[in-house]
Amino acid sequence: MSDIGKIRIRVPSNVKAGDVVRVRCLVIHPMERIERDAQGKIIDRNYNYITRVTATYLGKPVAAFDLTQSVSENPAFSFALKATAPGPVTVIFVDTHGGKYERTEDIVFA
Amino acid sequence: MAETLTRRTALGRLGAVGVAVATGALHMPAPAGAQGASPTMGLQESVQDGLKRVFGGRPMKDGSALIKLDIPPIAENGAVVPVNVEVTGAMTPASYVKTIWIVADKNRIPIVAKATLTPEAGQAFVGANIRLGETTDVRAVIEQSDGTLWTAKREVKVTVGGCGG
Repeated sequence: MSDIGKIRIRVPSNVKAGDVVRVRCLVIHPMERIERDAQGKIIDRNYNYITRVTATYLGKPVAAFDLTQSVSENPAFSFALKATAPGPVTVIFVDTHGGKYERTEDIVFA
Repeated sequence: MAETLTRRTALGRLGAVGVAVATGALHMPAPAGAQGASPTMGLQESVQDGLKRVFGGRPMKDGSALIKLDIPPIAENGAVVPVNVEVTGAMTPASYVKTIWIVADKNRIPIVAKATLTPEAGQAFVGANIRLGETTDVRAVIEQSDGTLWTAKREVKVTVGGCGG
C-alpha cells in the first residue's frame, strides 16, 4: 500500500474575489476498522486511521476535522472557504501511526 | 488557597469520571478509542451516552429549518455514505458556526466526526464520507459561536452494512 497518503485536492477553476468556494479533498488511506475475534472480542492493536485533518488557506485555519473509525476508507472531505486573494490551500492529515500527509493546491483567480 | 485532596474528594471525582466512561468501557475491553490523538473521539458507546458526554445535557434546538442535511435516503453500501451538512446564514466573526458534529445513532462509534470551522470559511459547509453499520438516523449537531446547539436528523436505509467488526 504505497499509495497511503496520496492526496487529491479539487478547487474550482473559475474563482472571483469574494466568492465562497467549496474545496474537495481525498486521501488514500485504509482507515482500519476495529477487528474482532471469533468470540466477538475486540482485538487490541494500534489501528491505523486518520484522527485529524486540518485545512488552511493563506496560512489561516479554515476547517479542522476530528475523525473516528466510523469514517470511510479513502476518506473524502469538503469544506468551504471565502476566496479573498489568490493563494495556497493546504490540507494536512494525521493518522494514528504517526503518519502525516500534506498537500497544497493554489487558488487561482480567473 | 491550595485545595487539599482528601480521600472523600478524590473518590468523588473518580466516581464522576467513572459514570462518564462506564458504559463505554463495558463494551470496550480494548481501549479502542484511547489510542487516538483526541481522547473524546472514537469511543464505543451508545448514542445517548455519546451525546451526553459531548454536550453534557445542554438543550438542543430543532434546527431542521436551519441545517441542510444532504444524505442519500438509501445507501446501498454502508461503507461509503456521503454526508454533506450545510447551515444557512452567513459566517461573520461575530456569529458563526463553530463546530459541526456528525452522529450516526446505531454505529458502534456513534460520534462519527467533528468539524471545527472558522469565520474564514465564509459558509458553514462540510462534507465527509462515513460508514454506517445498519439502517439508522444520522444527525448533525451544530454549535454556534455563542454556544447555541441546533440539531437535525434524517434516516438512512442501509442495504449492506459497512462497519463490520
